[in-house]
Amino acid sequence: MKIVVLIKQVPDTTEVKLDKKTGNLIREGVDSIVNPDDRQALELALQLKDDCQAMVTAVSMGPPQAVDVLSEALGMGCDAAVLLTDRAFAGADTWATSTTLGKAIEKIGDFDLILCGYQAIDGDTAQTGPQIAEYLGLPQACYVDNIENVEAGKITVTRRNDEGYERLSLTLPALLTVSKITVAPRYPMMGNLIDAGCEDAAIQIWNAVDIGALNSELGMEGSLTQVVKTFSPKTKRAGELLEGDVPEMVSELLGKVRQAHLI
Amino acid sequence: MSMIRSDSEALIKKTMARFVDEEVIPKAREIDESGEFPYDLFKKLADMGVLGLRYPKSVGGSGGDTVLYCVAMQELARGLMSLAATTAMQCLMATNGLYLYGTKAMHEEYLYPALKGEKIGAFQLTEPEAGSDLGNVRTSARKTADGYVINGMKTWSTNGPKGDFHTVLCQTNPDKGLKGLMFFFIPTDTPGFSHSKKFDCLGTRSSTLSEIYFNDCHIPKEYCLGEEGRGLDVLLTILAEIRIMTAALAIGLHRAAMDDSIKYCKERVQFGKPIGKNQLIQAKIANMAVNLEAGQLMVDKVTRLVRDKKSCLNEASMAKYFTVESACSASDEAMRIHGAYGYSMEYSVQRYYRDNRFLLYGGGTHEVLQTTIARQYLK
Repeated sequence: MKIVVLIKQVPDTTEVKLDKKTGNLIREGVDSIVNPDDRQALELALQLKDDCQAMVTAVSMGPPQAVDVLSEALGMGCDAAVLLTDRAFAGADTWATSTTLGKAIEKIGDFDLILCGYQAIDGDTAQTGPQIAEYLGLPQACYVDNIENVEAGKITVTRRNDEGYERLSLTLPALLTVSKITVAPRYPMMGNLIDAGCEDAAIQIWNAVDIGALNSELGMEGSLTQVVKTFSPKTKRAGELLEGDVPEMVSELLGKVRQAHLI
Repeated sequence: MSMIRSDSEALIKKTMARFVDEEVIPKAREIDESGEFPYDLFKKLADMGVLGLRYPKSVGGSGGDTVLYCVAMQELARGLMSLAATTAMQCLMATNGLYLYGTKAMHEEYLYPALKGEKIGAFQLTEPEAGSDLGNVRTSARKTADGYVINGMKTWSTNGPKGDFHTVLCQTNPDKGLKGLMFFFIPTDTPGFSHSKKFDCLGTRSSTLSEIYFNDCHIPKEYCLGEEGRGLDVLLTILAEIRIMTAALAIGLHRAAMDDSIKYCKERVQFGKPIGKNQLIQAKIANMAVNLEAGQLMVDKVTRLVRDKKSCLNEASMAKYFTVESACSASDEAMRIHGAYGYSMEYSVQRYYRDNRFLLYGGGTHEVLQTTIARQYLK
């Protein structure tokens, strides 16, 4: 079985700081990490590798320093990695990103399953995974939290919804977006991280020419949407849920009201 | 396209930092209060390949070096010194002699399991009458037809009661003093081996320290680690590394004390403003930061000298002395910044204050280190 996992490098903060003039993210002084949902996708892929000797390739699109998330993926146990980096990719919206990643996956060619995080914490669109599935003409399931089995060209997965769980069966090849799996993703192995920094590491670097893409399909030029303004939502009031039995909650509530000098 | 690769040192630092933030710090207080060594975390570190960081892959290591090893230990010490000290011991002192001088069979039976966290090693130098004065080691190794018989006792043995095997400094010929010293490998299940109960110590409460006793312990000749009479040379091959590792542990603790202090300075409001707005508090933070930066530079320099097999015992001694004293000062200042809360067991700064004392003695007392450092300039 051959699995492609799509991962993104994102800023390590839930409180994104923005440049007031440009509206762009301020990345200086902010560490970058593997997008949390993507790390969960990696874990699901590596569990399949543990169970059925799958070959796992991690793919990321970003600036050269995004190689770090691929090195971490190799550290966790992925077999190979591809970094898509080119100035032509800059400024891509989810449509152009999906096109770029879709073309890279077409170049990889031989795959049974694509996994990616449900959404990235720096964009929260949850569009890229489904759009790649559409681009490649694959069946897809979003919000997957568990893979039950892979058998006879089909994969059975579960996902949570408002009423409970759904069990879905998809014909392979397919694409899954992943979120809230029950197992904590594994930590990278030291030896693998050391290998990932070596010249002969299993990391390929591809640009627009390598994936056979036209500039008109990529980056800002290939985007259908443009960001007019980026801002952090300002929370003026925050709710707080009290837990426990009624007397406990009443007592706690009174304490908070007194603390706020309301009574 | 041109080569684009990650910096493995940065990746290891980041991975260890995440492990410490997610797995160690949330449990540190509970572990310290229980006094029980966290074997579950130790095994997780082994599964990540941390225990084998400075050994080649050919013996089950991760293929790293002293720089990467010290980066990892530094992060671990930021979380919990007991865990860091035991891990550092397992990576270096407890296993280095076995790695260098052990037979293939010994590697298979002890080294590979040790790097997987399945067996624990200990290192025995100190005796009641021989601390810095190693020439006075009295644990004896008497040669027999097929090996040696070991008699004597060791003290302040980290992992002593829990160890599966021990690297022990013995005297083969009392008339030769330092030139009669030799290291031996002694498995815990050797008849005649025993230990005292765990010491009740001020800091590193979940580490296990004890006395160790050898009563007619017969060991085969292949359990000699190095040439007869070259024990001091064997020790000197890793002494600089032991000292810089200790310095790395101090850097981790210093950083923890500083991080907690910065957080508290911003949160604690007195006279209508956070206490971090007061100049005397700022001076404490500034001193912590300057000392930390200077110590980090020393550690970065010396770990590279050790990695490149350059002579650097004096530099390592200076780094150990400076960073541990700085960490002592930082943990003291952190308690002062926290005021009475620093005196409470609820805040971690009291643990940093207690744990840092452990670093004052291992790898050479500072009184001895100052003497040896001065000698380099007065000769």
